[in-house]
Amino acid sequence: MPDFSILTENWDMYIKGFFITIYTSLIGLIGSFILGTILAIFRIAPFKPFNWIGTIYIEFFRNIPLLIIAFFLFTALPTINMQLDGFQAGTLALIIYTSAFIAEAIRAGILSIPKGQTEAARSSGLTYTQTMRYIILPQAIKIVIPPLGNQFINLVKNSSILTILAAGDLMYQADLISTRTFVTFDVYIFVAIFYLVITIPLSTGVNYLEKRLARSN
Amino acid sequence: MIEFKNVDKYFGDFQVLKNINLTIKKGEVVVIIGPSGSGKSTLLRCMNRLETISNGSLTINGVELNDKKTDINKLRRKIGMVFQHFYLYPHKTVLENIMLAPVKALGQSKEEAKKTALAYLEKVGIPDKANAYPSQLSGGQQQRVAIARGLAMHPEIMLFDEPTSALDPEMIGEVLEVMKHLAKEGMTMVVVTHEMGFAKEVADRIIFVDKGEILEDADPAEFYKEPKEERAKLFLSRILNH
Repeated sequence: MPDFSILTENWDMYIKGFFITIYTSLIGLIGSFILGTILAIFRIAPFKPFNWIGTIYIEFFRNIPLLIIAFFLFTALPTINMQLDGFQAGTLALIIYTSAFIAEAIRAGILSIPKGQTEAARSSGLTYTQTMRYIILPQAIKIVIPPLGNQFINLVKNSSILTILAAGDLMYQADLISTRTFVTFDVYIFVAIFYLVITIPLSTGVNYLEKRLARSN
Repeated sequence: MIEFKNVDKYFGDFQVLKNINLTIKKGEVVVIIGPSGSGKSTLLRCMNRLETISNGSLTINGVELNDKKTDINKLRRKIGMVFQHFYLYPHKTVLENIMLAPVKALGQSKEEAKKTALAYLEKVGIPDKANAYPSQLSGGQQQRVAIARGLAMHPEIMLFDEPTSALDPEMIGEVLEVMKHLAKEGMTMVVVTHEMGFAKEVADRIIFVDKGEILEDADPAEFYKEPKEERAKLFLSRILNH
């Protein structure tokens, strides 16, 4: 039985970390979705230099540790006179890293839409951009929701890298509580529960959305 | 109106179209037939640049289709296309399917586009399906919506790529009926089809394509009675005696 006094006595710190984690996750989620969509379109656009940019970005950031991106933004940018605090550097790193995975998921979704949809739209005089916006992306998004949900859950969990940038997130608060009280096990059990409070509704929401969108077809 | 001059088309090393010379005039109904893999669909798809040509010249109303300066989107608004597998947009209702291009490509107001869409739905005989989704329609109904979608742009030319090949036999008639009606109204139509009844009744010319070449360009009645080319005879005997 965990010691609940740990939770009650340090409630303020847990809540503070909880909201910082939610905050970075929300910004990360929106940012990586937008950047990921743009990158996916870069990768399939009928313009070679865009394809290269998209491919280089995705292959680079998908294949290095998130921690390196976070460290780089936090420590290397000040050398060119750009100072980011821990929260900014960590959140930006999350966006940069997660968008590479999201781009791949969205690209797969776009490519799974039959070519005839594009041909029908283009042959009616719609431009490439209009075809993407009105025909392809709305259909692709339904297919992409389950893998996107996975990426968003990963993003929430990966937000714990903010800890090493001292950005005050959930995991950071847990470390603080642990050093202060010399309790380890219980402190981390409670912090895991706080993460679950975010991720379980997220995955339930994704499942619900998936079912609802499937019905409209 | 549509003019091919010495057109070649390659897919990699394979030559799909060989030295195509073909002129289609305003108001003509031209049926293209030929064996599977003969290049007849490719020939049709070149006419709105879904396929680009490799050599030669292809003009629509005097505009060179494969010129970099040609605004292809503008040109395509004048050319409707109907596909074998309909390709209606599954996430949009019948009405939205028809209204999309007039609103987004022509800049019509929604009210205007809706009025036009409903008028064409009436014309193809399914005004009651305006708010249905494509998945709720039969194949024949979907194809008629696809025709209405093409017509809503007020095109000068309509291209049909095997419009009845994916349909159950009892639904072919309703689609052909709409097409015949359109032909009699004077629409310029290029139709890839094996429907002999349609060709005989409304086509002005039959183009027989085999191995990427135009072998015959004939009057439909004469063609079906007495094809000149050996390969055309063979082809006809195969499609008639199955």
